[in-house]
Amino acid sequence: MTDNLSPAPSVPSETGLRYVARVTASMSHEMKNVLAIINENCGLLEDLSFAAKKGAPIEPDRLDRTCRQMAKQIERADAILKTMSRYAHSFDHPEEPVDLHDLCQLVATLAGRLAAMRRITLTVEKAEAPCMVHKHPFALQALLWQCLELAIGTASEGCTLTLRPQAAAVTIAGFDQVDNIHGRTTPLPITVAGEGPGPQLTLHLA
Amino acid sequence: MRILLVDDEAEFVSTLAERLTMRGYQADYSITAGNALDLAAKHLYDVAVLDMKMPGTSGLELQARLAEKHPAMRFIFLTGHGSEDDYSAGSRQAAHYLVKPVDINTLIAKINQTVFANDR
Repeated sequence: MTDNLSPAPSVPSETGLRYVARVTASMSHEMKNVLAIINENCGLLEDLSFAAKKGAPIEPDRLDRTCRQMAKQIERADAILKTMSRYAHSFDHPEEPVDLHDLCQLVATLAGRLAAMRRITLTVEKAEAPCMVHKHPFALQALLWQCLELAIGTASEGCTLTLRPQAAAVTIAGFDQVDNIHGRTTPLPITVAGEGPGPQLTLHLA
Repeated sequence: MRILLVDDEAEFVSTLAERLTMRGYQADYSITAGNALDLAAKHLYDVAVLDMKMPGTSGLELQARLAEKHPAMRFIFLTGHGSEDDYSAGSRQAAHYLVKPVDINTLIAKINQTVFANDR
């Protein structure tokens, strides 16, 4: 019998589990909001239909607006589920070539709500040349998530954090305060550097 | 009855306000904590329905600030976040804690319970 399971990724189990739990909580919260909007718009259509049966005039523009809102939320849900599917299937394969730009885009999307809660904007810089590493994609995501969570929790509210893929590292820049990062102990290959326009947090992947 | 709805999901909160208005309630809405505080300074609300998780000021923080300025105002939390911690915190600080999506009749029943309990 062939064992199709991937070998365990080289990421501490607590880091991986925390990543799964945090992403699942965030995405399920997003989906709840989508469902709530569709629920209200569906209810509004029922209300308008009920009023029309009682003789109230139907406003076609109002119906159009409600339908557009529902269609928009269906697109939003589809985007959320596509991201979740990509994230979930990252555990399917053992080590494989990983494009660091794609990795940054995915983790930044997954962390979008977490950042928004602190009014922080996440951007991903496009590298001049493709940055490929041969690693377990899920393990890389979990490590980058932990860095990003640390960065989001430490950076000033309202700032922009930039994820910068490099040859064998991802740098997160945009802090104007990093004191708490220096005080944190972590088993991850993270360094905080002070060069450039501001402090930077770098995840070394080599 | 005058109701203040606060949620950062604009399409959700505006549609809910419209549906409550169709049922004879005076429902105002805000998508930010700051604007909610401004509205509460201008109008006397019987009850505020607050999202627990909002960018910047959380629903819990907003509830504390509204309660300090408007002691008679009552609160319901309506959230997409279903953690035990949030449920415990929300239940301590508000009359009801509801998880989205919620049936409007359930919400109205909770609003009435909250306001009538306040009147007794």
